[in-house]
Amino acid sequence: MKKVIMGNHSVSHGVMASEVKVISAYPITPQTHIVELLSEMCGNGDIDAKFIKVESEHSAMAACVGASAAGSRAFTATSSQGLLLMHEMLHWAVGARLPIVLANVNRAVGPPWSIWTDQNDSLSQRDVGWLQIYCESNQETQDTIPQAFKIAEELQMPVMIVLDAFFLSHTYEIVDIITKEEVRKFLPEYKPEIKIDTKDPHSFGNLGGPDVYMELRYMIQEAMEKGIDVIKRVDKEFEEVFGRGYGLIQPYRCDDAETILVTSGTVSSTTRAVIDQMRDEGIKIGSLKIRVFRPFPFEEVFEVLSKAKKVAVIDRNISFGNGGIFYQEIKSALYGRTDIPIVGYIAGLGGRDITPSVIREIADKAIGDDKPERYINWIGVKK
Amino acid sequence: MKPAVMPLEELMGSGHLACQGCGATQAMRFALKVLGPETALVIPACCWAVIDGTFPHSAVNLPIYHTAFETAAVVASGLKAGLEMRGDTETTVMAWAGDGGTFDIGLQALSGAAERNDDIIYVCYDNEAYMNTGIQRSSSTPVGAWTTTTPVTNYKREPKKNMIDIMAAHSIPYIATASTAYPHDFMAKVKKAKSIRGTKYIQIFAPCPTGWKMAPELSVKSARDAVTSKVYPLLEITEHGQKLKVWKDFEPTSVRDYMKVQGRFRHLKDEEFDQIEKDVEMKWQRLVAKEKMLASIPGLIE
Amino acid sequence: MVKKLEFKSYKDMPIRAMTLSTMMWNLTGSWRNVRPYYDFKTSPCIAGCPTSENIQKYIYLVTEKRYEEAWSTIIESNPMPAITGRVCFHPCMSKCTRKDYDEPVNINAIERSLGDMGLDNPGWMTKVKGTESQKVAVVGSGPAGLSCAFYLARAGFTVTLFEMEKALGGVLRWGIPEYRLTNEVLDRVISSMLEAGPIEVKTGVEVGKEISLEELEKDFDAVFLGTGLTKSRSLGMDGEEGDGIEAGLSFLKKVNGGEKVDPGKRVVVIGGGNTAMDVARCAIRSGSEVTVVYRRTINEMPAIEEEIEEAEREGVKFHFLAAPLEIKRNGDSLTSVVFQKMELGKPDESGRRRPVAVEGETFEMEVDRMFSAIGEQADLEGIDGMLDCEWNLIKADQKMGQCSREKFYAGGDVVTGAASVVEAIAAGRKAAEKMIRGFRGQSEPEEIEDRIVGIDDMNIDYFTKVKQNRVPRIPSEEIKGTFREIKTGYTDELLEKEAERCFSCGVCNYCDNCWVFCPDVAIHRRENEYEIDLDYCKGCLICVEECPRNALSTREEGK
Repeated sequence: MKKVIMGNHSVSHGVMASEVKVISAYPITPQTHIVELLSEMCGNGDIDAKFIKVESEHSAMAACVGASAAGSRAFTATSSQGLLLMHEMLHWAVGARLPIVLANVNRAVGPPWSIWTDQNDSLSQRDVGWLQIYCESNQETQDTIPQAFKIAEELQMPVMIVLDAFFLSHTYEIVDIITKEEVRKFLPEYKPEIKIDTKDPHSFGNLGGPDVYMELRYMIQEAMEKGIDVIKRVDKEFEEVFGRGYGLIQPYRCDDAETILVTSGTVSSTTRAVIDQMRDEGIKIGSLKIRVFRPFPFEEVFEVLSKAKKVAVIDRNISFGNGGIFYQEIKSALYGRTDIPIVGYIAGLGGRDITPSVIREIADKAIGDDKPERYINWIGVKK
Repeated sequence: MKPAVMPLEELMGSGHLACQGCGATQAMRFALKVLGPETALVIPACCWAVIDGTFPHSAVNLPIYHTAFETAAVVASGLKAGLEMRGDTETTVMAWAGDGGTFDIGLQALSGAAERNDDIIYVCYDNEAYMNTGIQRSSSTPVGAWTTTTPVTNYKREPKKNMIDIMAAHSIPYIATASTAYPHDFMAKVKKAKSIRGTKYIQIFAPCPTGWKMAPELSVKSARDAVTSKVYPLLEITEHGQKLKVWKDFEPTSVRDYMKVQGRFRHLKDEEFDQIEKDVEMKWQRLVAKEKMLASIPGLIE
Repeated sequence: MVKKLEFKSYKDMPIRAMTLSTMMWNLTGSWRNVRPYYDFKTSPCIAGCPTSENIQKYIYLVTEKRYEEAWSTIIESNPMPAITGRVCFHPCMSKCTRKDYDEPVNINAIERSLGDMGLDNPGWMTKVKGTESQKVAVVGSGPAGLSCAFYLARAGFTVTLFEMEKALGGVLRWGIPEYRLTNEVLDRVISSMLEAGPIEVKTGVEVGKEISLEELEKDFDAVFLGTGLTKSRSLGMDGEEGDGIEAGLSFLKKVNGGEKVDPGKRVVVIGGGNTAMDVARCAIRSGSEVTVVYRRTINEMPAIEEEIEEAEREGVKFHFLAAPLEIKRNGDSLTSVVFQKMELGKPDESGRRRPVAVEGETFEMEVDRMFSAIGEQADLEGIDGMLDCEWNLIKADQKMGQCSREKFYAGGDVVTGAASVVEAIAAGRKAAEKMIRGFRGQSEPEEIEDRIVGIDDMNIDYFTKVKQNRVPRIPSEEIKGTFREIKTGYTDELLEKEAERCFSCGVCNYCDNCWVFCPDVAIHRRENEYEIDLDYCKGCLICVEECPRNALSTREEGK
């Protein structure tokens, strides 16, 4: 059934269809609609879940940790400061190998207070060990929720799906709404073998000495690496049921492209429009959307970008003292395997619009600058 | 042989990593004896995070979830919800935290769980300082005490936080204090807590010979003297904070005698002991007066 | 032994930190520098009992309602708890730790209850056949003789028990009034004891007169003399032999023999011992007005305190610091006695202050009857000369009863002078044990010094003040004209309640404290014992500290 819904609600629908059993969340703009609708769904019985209305995001993640450890499918949603407050428990979920799914609405971090989008909240959780999937549309957002659970439960790893504040969260789009019945064909009931169970008592997470810690961390990395194939396969399985797939990355008109713009999130759609316009002008340009950021799809990215002559990375984030975070990741994916110039562009922080003209400016700069002096370029800063 | 005075079943075994004479360990053993095998524990950072043993070994034959310092109550809430949602409504979920994880860092999550009246038992084993990290003061540390962060030159001047009143303000169905010296009282309270739905809070006085600079064999004695000297009254708050019952059926003993066996109070002078004794008596009087006052008001909730 | 799990490869590990085994591999016993151990000591009551009854043990068994075992425990050292439970001066109770806490445990009443149960359950007494070749003559069937005969017979030795009276029992029969010990109880006790083993009874035979000690020495492998004190000491006054004046003992014999005796309206009893009390209380039951006159004060009275209290309660008057001086008669009839007032002087050899006359101070008391009860003496006719005697008593080893001739043993009042039933029982038993060891060629047991536990050794935090349970009794006003037993004994409920009061000093009574408080789960609760698991005991010593009764001790490791 198709409906015009906002991005936040597409998350709620994805959660409902995935038959989540425990939801725990704390209000924060611009995420709040997700849990408001879920509260309603719990209230009217659309979803058979317990909603633990906690007193902080830290507790929201902690409640999910408890629920997931008990063997129930658990979900939370947050944004920005909330995600940062969860940080400790994000680590816990990974170490405990709990398949929790979290929807993070990308919002800039204060001060100053900002409710508008950028990726610094989720990207500063890069190293905690959560899988991260960046969505571009309301449809993709909804569809990625059941995918995320399937991936998480297979890998016994938590998955974060990320959507832009307002550009997705509050934007209404047509979404083909998935139902529980349909999702059941794709996502089996969660029945973990190991859980908190008085019939099979174990103590989880007690003291681990230097003799065991590294091995446990090694296995997390192993799961991440295995994740690339699992995500691909799960996406394909989803496509078999629903006819929609999203892949790890999404190249656009890259086959003969001399220049490729690398994007993530909603910027990808705007970029494609600019690419079409430039192609019409005869410019050999394409774009590459990075959907799955963790695990980072090194091979897939290399395959696409190695054919280009120039790579420009648009980052709606900044790692202070270094540069755009996607930019760093792309560089590391290509390092030592090609000598294509890779240039980073920081744009759209704190919700500033990345309009087609901004993208065009980036594209032109990238094409025109054969030997770039600066590899980290701020776009649109008032100087 | 006489029938055993407490259940024989041991869910906690030997080989654990507690110090000699550990009150927190006794308390766990007592609690598990009444809770039985259909129990899951949540343990945040605290002595018990270590006592339980090293991966892949545990001294307790129950499911235990070790979690971050400030999350005992809410992980228990989540765990309970998770169990119920997969059809397990029988398992009792008990959060088991020290005073630091309760009075300080865990207070917010505990308040949240209590306000939601989540169906968990929360036990705070109160050894009156951060013992696992090496004896630093917590808001449960009593006035006058030495800790590594309140050295004798600057011992703790602030009174112990009244956690019981904080919990009572949440109108939860059951609150009790206990002492390791009175295991039957404690076990009865745990049993009662198990029978009640909602958030139950039990705070058990659990001496730490190591942290109190005291001979380990005095562990139980000091737990007893704390009660009989009125330093640590045994009480129950029921009917959602509306009724208070204070245990008074004991021969009163001296506050000084209780304190003097503990090295953490050794630096105190006579006049400081005098003041502490006065404070203890004043608090006791207030508590008893409150009990009377509450008894005279009809309860709001039937 | 539980082994510590170790992983060779990450492939063997669970993906998350998750326990797969217990901590039992971690032998925390190595942390210990001091070790606790169960170390039972002596309860003061046991040390205070002349015959060393294992009081703690039988009271414990009562709390467990294991009455037969409790009774058997007494029988090990006292064959007649139904009697001592009535008449013993119970020094155990004056040693009881509880007396320093609230009131002593009424051990005596508990003993009586068990003794009575033993009589009601004749099956409890094991019956032994004569399995040994040696024969022993026991002379006198008072508590010493009966006890000696019983323990010999129980060990399989054949005993011939000689008694000069027609009925057995000695002082138990003719010296103790019905209201304290009925003949019925006495008869039942004696018959149960006689059934226990090969004992042949010869009554109405006066050894030393009708059969000589030489004959006994010839016919038997050993001889025990428990002939007691049978002669009353005289007052040594003019007119003492006349009408209206009688030895208290002779009066008691008549009363106890069932004779109807009218002691007269106004009766005076001279003396302060148990005989004096018995006489006074018998007289008051016959309707007399009774005054006891004693030359010292109440503090020096040798009678059992309880007896004095009972006498007072029953209406006996006391006049202290006075001694008879002159007997006045009208014709043959006694009319009055003049008494000399006394005061206490310096202590004599007995440690008591010697009474001295207050010159010129006398008073006269009108009386119909005067009983003298100032002490009894042994009749050593036929004994003195054969055996060494001293102070008109047989000289014998106080512990084992060995006399100056090899085969002869003696015990009870005839050796010690006026003492108690329980001391006589102890003497009889110890002599029997000594003989048995001799017959069997066994060596003397090593003497172990008692380590007696007192209130300061206990953890009294575990006790609550509970008054002694009073023994039900008939009211004092009902005693006139009846010799009914005053105390009716504990009901089952009272017995249990009183037994629960026992602190079980120095001996484990399975209160579980050590097991309850062990933080290391290193005390195993076994059938009738606890075991410290030294593999895990960290040596915190809480068990030692929290043992209410000092049944554990400590030892430094490596020493």
